Amino acid sequence: MDIQAIIQRSSLMRAMRDWFTTTGYLEVETPILSTHLIPEPTIANFATQYISEFHGSRELYLVPSPEVFMKQIIAETKRSIYQFSHCFRNREQIGSHHNPEFTMLEYYTVGADDTDSIGITEELIAKTALSGTPDHLLPPFQIMTVAEACQRYAHFDLDTAQTVGALRKVATQLGLTIPSTPESWEETFNRIFLNFVEPELPQEQPLVLTEYPKQIECLAKQTPHRPYRKRWELYAGGIELANCYDEERDKEVVAQYYTQQYALLASQRAHSGEVIPDIDPDFPMLFDDFPPCSGVALGFDRLLMLQTGRNTIGDLILFNLSDMMADGD
Amino acid sequence: MIKAGQIDKGTALLIKGQPFICVEREFVNPGKGSAFVRLKLKSPATGQTLRETMKTQDNAEDITVEDRDCQYLYNDGENFHFMMTETYEQIEVPMESFVDYQFIMKEGETYRVTFWEHQPLDIQVPTKVVFEVAEAEEAVKGDTVTGATKNVTTETGLSVRVPIFIKQGEKILVNTETKEYIERVNK
Repeated sequence: MDIQAIIQRSSLMRAMRDWFTTTGYLEVETPILSTHLIPEPTIANFATQYISEFHGSRELYLVPSPEVFMKQIIAETKRSIYQFSHCFRNREQIGSHHNPEFTMLEYYTVGADDTDSIGITEELIAKTALSGTPDHLLPPFQIMTVAEACQRYAHFDLDTAQTVGALRKVATQLGLTIPSTPESWEETFNRIFLNFVEPELPQEQPLVLTEYPKQIECLAKQTPHRPYRKRWELYAGGIELANCYDEERDKEVVAQYYTQQYALLASQRAHSGEVIPDIDPDFPMLFDDFPPCSGVALGFDRLLMLQTGRNTIGDLILFNLSDMMADGD
Repeated sequence: MIKAGQIDKGTALLIKGQPFICVEREFVNPGKGSAFVRLKLKSPATGQTLRETMKTQDNAEDITVEDRDCQYLYNDGENFHFMMTETYEQIEVPMESFVDYQFIMKEGETYRVTFWEHQPLDIQVPTKVVFEVAEAEEAVKGDTVTGATKNVTTETGLSVRVPIFIKQGEKILVNTETKEYIERVNK
């Protein structure tokens, strides 16, 4: 067992808790076992069975993120909150940067937008980084829009490649082989992004990629008059570290997201037999009275891996699933 | 045909008519996106490296390969020379594709070699191997900091960072993928 890993995890967590406390955030603790989830078709879920001897049984789910509960607390308290939460993603392949169970740091800042969250995250990292963290993992962050990155590294104009056909043409010109079966704009975008853009992203300092395409459905607000969302992702050392939204507050938009994404999820999983989690149809009602806020979800194990100069999160997740499954090797 | 998600380290694929071996595989889930797999493929014939990121549901053309036991004889700087233990036939594998294996394989030992239509594609080296320390630096006196390390060289010429208590002639277990010291082996 790597005692050093235990000590480093504890130190970083304590430093972050101190920072959040002095900055006025309230720490919350929400369930990891839930009766309902937010519909996210690309995240496969874990389900388990609650058994009651006298009242029958029902399916429960392990949360892929604490968002579903944290937003309820924000609606109720109108306060900035944070949480270190265990999160569970099924089908997640086990690798150097993935484990089906991982620790997420999620923080919501009331009254802030996505741009404010960049500064907040810079300060959080600057004030809490473990000693010995290399400079290229520390703020200031470099900021670039996704469209700028596409232009710079894949030499195409994202503003105009807005249809499935136009983007497919870009992909083919770049030399990608795309299956003849129809695929969504988002899928083709990810092929281009992962093959040509992401590997080239600068690593001399942390990078915030802003303005994600609107076609990638999520609960981040849309940028007015432009085909993007008020969402950013933080990369450090070439690794995706955090995801931020200017949280959608329009009840109708959230309701529509719920209906559409749940239908998509249910139709995709009807064939595969995968878990179709229950959703809370009343969730959009929260947004009757929801303060402007920006939320960041940060992969804590990855941050720790980077700051301690390790190559895999498996070195820092004690009893990680990969080791447990390989037991006897 | 196999799904890209099934490709593993060591899987042999045919790409534009040329055989490639997967040497690295990492799964990626782009933020809010479906699953992809990042592959690093190597052509054993030319040493050419190919990087490709595919959706795990994409099809890939795999090829049927055969593993045979081969005794490692020596290398001449360009090729590894093996003898197939069943037929005593000698074969050459270009070193270009497996440059660091010269410091890992031990002469006289038997390894599994992967063939595709009589062409050697891959050499299978165990991930954990016991080596003898052939040369060890003297530990610096007074260097008692926990976790202090020094360099040693194994009998195969592999340079490994080890804790300072390791001496010449001792046996150590090494991860051959990361070239990292695991533990001292007591006889």
